[in-house]
Amino acid sequence: MTRLFDPFFWSPSLRRSLNWGITAFSVLVCLLVMPTRIPGMELLGVGPNWMLIWVVVWSVNRTAWEGAIAGLTLGLIQDAMTAPDPTHAFSLAIVGILTARLHKQRYIQEDFISVALIVFGMAVIAETVVALQFTLGSLSNPTGTYPTLGEIWLFHQQIALCSAILSSLWAPVIYYPLKRWWNLMETVEQAQLS
Amino acid sequence: MLTVRRWWGRRGLQVGLIALVLLIAWGLRQNQGGVIYELYRWLSLPFQSEQDTRSAALENATLREMQGRLLELESQNQQLRQLLDYSSEHTDGIVAPVIGRSADHWWQQIILGRGRSNGVEVGDIVSGTGGLVGRVTHVTPNTSRVLLITDPTSQVGVTISRTRVMGVLRGQAGNRAVMQFFEKEPNVQAGDTIATSSISQLFPAGIPIGQVESVDLRKSPAPEAVIELSSPIGYLEWVIVSENTTPQSESIESEMAE
Repeated sequence: MTRLFDPFFWSPSLRRSLNWGITAFSVLVCLLVMPTRIPGMELLGVGPNWMLIWVVVWSVNRTAWEGAIAGLTLGLIQDAMTAPDPTHAFSLAIVGILTARLHKQRYIQEDFISVALIVFGMAVIAETVVALQFTLGSLSNPTGTYPTLGEIWLFHQQIALCSAILSSLWAPVIYYPLKRWWNLMETVEQAQLS
Repeated sequence: MLTVRRWWGRRGLQVGLIALVLLIAWGLRQNQGGVIYELYRWLSLPFQSEQDTRSAALENATLREMQGRLLELESQNQQLRQLLDYSSEHTDGIVAPVIGRSADHWWQQIILGRGRSNGVEVGDIVSGTGGLVGRVTHVTPNTSRVLLITDPTSQVGVTISRTRVMGVLRGQAGNRAVMQFFEKEPNVQAGDTIATSSISQLFPAGIPIGQVESVDLRKSPAPEAVIELSSPIGYLEWVIVSENTTPQSESIESEMAE
């Protein structure tokens, strides 16, 4: 009976599908938290950017390709939850690539503080990319319903700062359990291979 | 050929899984996240307040008096309309709980816990206690998404009730909105009430929106007024969804469906 709960006795296929399942479940949890505004979780009406936190946590120990694909996927899903134009896939894919490349430099370690710092920086970058997309839309279609340039960059200041502060504070909530799980899976895989 | 096959043997599963994940994400996007919002509503059901908080507010005596007067005026209006052969459909709205807010900071949206199965349709008008709140943009079987009038991409044709000066109301994120006038010298002062105008293509005329807080006549290219919205958009718990009777709303619906 205890073998059922010991990962070292799981068959590779069971382990792999459980790994996928847990990863997908964590994305689902992020998706479902996004529309809520729990008191203490918002600043000027802006909450943490859960999708961005997830993409950073995923990419921090993976290749740029994996980061880009995760960003693209979660961006498309976030489009589904808000409005598809301009797309979120672009900004999150950039975040995935940058986070994965950033880690190659040796002086950033993997702990809470550095993940929180990376999330802070990436939130600012992601919101800037979205603001640039809005700016392009506004310039190419001046009579459309896009906000004016002044408004866009005013919102950008508010949104980027609030989202960066809140996202970096809440990042460990996602980082810690996922990190533990992925580390465990890696250890088990090494043990089974050798 | 052999190298391709060997590569496929090694990477095939990975490529297949990535394609599957991307396909699911794309499908969700095309479906406008319907599945996620249905699940979200189901999970948030235990947290929704059982009692309609509006009923408590209605206990207020002055409100009752006002309601009585309104009823009187409505019946008078009805009689006068009958005399004039003026026909208009009047429907009672659906009371819907607000179960969520926008999943992104750039849009000002709310998620309602009522959907297609309760009679909500795309283009319906959403109002809270005090006035207009927004317009339904997406509907799933049990939830719907509302674009608020405070969203920067939302534009509503409005008019000053006192002087019939027309303008366009633009959202300013947060809880503010700005009214841009068409005239250079509009007759307007702080404290004037504003309502939707008859030139609005998305909303029926005459829905109250708010009060003029301050006026800036020197603003270029057009004079502007800051509007204090009468419904508490930041703290909405229940809203009323009513059918949109403007003739244009149907064409907009079909545009959105495309």
